[in-house]
Amino acid sequence: MAEQRSEPDSGRRRLLRATLWGGGLAGLGALGGIGVKRLTQDPPAPKRPPLGPEFTYDVSRFQTSDPGLIQWRELSRFPSGLERPRNLCTTPGGHILVCGDDGIRRFDADGRELGFSPIQGRVHAVAVLPDESLLAGLPDQVQVIAPDGKVRAVWELEDVLPTSIAVADSRIFLADAHARVIRVLDLEGRPLQTIGQRDPDKGIEGFVVPSPYFCVRAAPDGLLRIANPGKHTIEAWTTDGDLELAWGRASFAIDGFCGCCNPVSFALLPDGGYVTGEKGLPRVKTYDECGAFTGIVAGTESFPEYVQATQAGTPEAASAGIYVVVDAAGRVLILDAIGGTVRIMVRKEDGDG
Amino acid sequence: MAEAPGMNRRALLSGGLRGLGLLGIGTATGALATRDKRDDEVWQIDPDACIQCGLCATECVLEISAVKTVHSHGMCGYCELCTGYFEPDPVNLDEGAENQLCPTGAIERTYIEHPYYEYRIKPDLCVGCGKCVKGCNMFGNGSLYLQVNHDRCVDCNRCAIATACPAEAFRLVPRSEPYLLRGKEEA
Repeated sequence: MAEQRSEPDSGRRRLLRATLWGGGLAGLGALGGIGVKRLTQDPPAPKRPPLGPEFTYDVSRFQTSDPGLIQWRELSRFPSGLERPRNLCTTPGGHILVCGDDGIRRFDADGRELGFSPIQGRVHAVAVLPDESLLAGLPDQVQVIAPDGKVRAVWELEDVLPTSIAVADSRIFLADAHARVIRVLDLEGRPLQTIGQRDPDKGIEGFVVPSPYFCVRAAPDGLLRIANPGKHTIEAWTTDGDLELAWGRASFAIDGFCGCCNPVSFALLPDGGYVTGEKGLPRVKTYDECGAFTGIVAGTESFPEYVQATQAGTPEAASAGIYVVVDAAGRVLILDAIGGTVRIMVRKEDGDG
Repeated sequence: MAEAPGMNRRALLSGGLRGLGLLGIGTATGALATRDKRDDEVWQIDPDACIQCGLCATECVLEISAVKTVHSHGMCGYCELCTGYFEPDPVNLDEGAENQLCPTGAIERTYIEHPYYEYRIKPDLCVGCGKCVKGCNMFGNGSLYLQVNHDRCVDCNRCAIATACPAEAFRLVPRSEPYLLRGKEEA
């Protein structure tokens, strides 16, 4: 019985196999036929050697720091917990606030998370009011968040991109990267004046802000310090809008600022000096109160993920900064927007490596 | 004995269907893989996907690539140390050949008013290597980027650069809107 059934079966199996092979071959034939037909319509691509080194953009010689200049060490680091962190600040109570897409996360001084304030949208800047309410800067608005986490007010600001906020003398100084000015508001969000508008009669050239990196800080001496990132300077302005002084030079060298938008962020040290954060060549450096370079907090080699992303040319890397603040203990906090972490840096002591 | 013919008919039917299916998949794959660029389409580079690898300069069927840098004047940040124009750490921030990044001298820099300069690309000199684009993207805001120049492109059905592009940044776009521009730019 089994043999009788197997003969016709094996014949049909051969037929089936032949059909399958035929179908597959026909498909492959179609593929090859169409491909060859199309390819032969185009001119042949000539074989050329790869481009020479003169066609390669090479900044590798700037990506390693002189170890003798590194005066700070990393104490610890913690994840920001935000998909796209954009800025940070500290509170008078010693907490660390990190803002970014979707909200603000609060950490204690050691990086333990204490809470999260969800905010719909891109939070580019965060600051603290005297009553401990938070100011969250988003495109075209500032949200005021009460200490209990509820949104107390929303100040609508047309065509404003707040990238940094400073609070001093019952006034709010809002760096507007869109209009390239500092907007001065009262504590209720009412506009008082603008600082830094181009005015050739007063010799004010205006701020050069190529992309959304524009940092303002209120200094203890009563002046504002404002980064002019397209000119690679940090400038001192009165709160009434007069330019007092500027320092900084355009250079890839360790004591300069390069590319556009640098420094993307800076903060004031307890001794009156500055700590600066740069993008492109990610590095964090210190300067004295006159703007003379004094040392490195974290060199480019400290940010391998950032360097890898910029060399790969990813759009995320092109728009990610290195943000810095100084806490009450004089520690430097660094937010690496690509790595997504906050690093706590302290000065090296004798005997540190 | 009674079941065997029925089973064989089913097997024959299903095998035949499988064969037809395979043929259909093969044909469809062939058609998709060699999708004909329609007459109303052209190749273009998506600047957000481009990684400035340099292959645009070497893979084009033309002697000098049809890919050129374009500059979005509206986006340009007018950086004092323009990393698309100047060598890293130039001797001076001026137009001296030793300070220029472009190996073919294809970028023209014109003073407008302090601190602003205008940058224009000379298409005859630009080879599409993307060196300036890399500098602008790494440090600037991406106002310099690469595009297929359709005055020069010979409109291959299968663009040789698109085939080689490791970032798959080449796209077919409508011939009526042949550029993927950032802001309002001039070449």
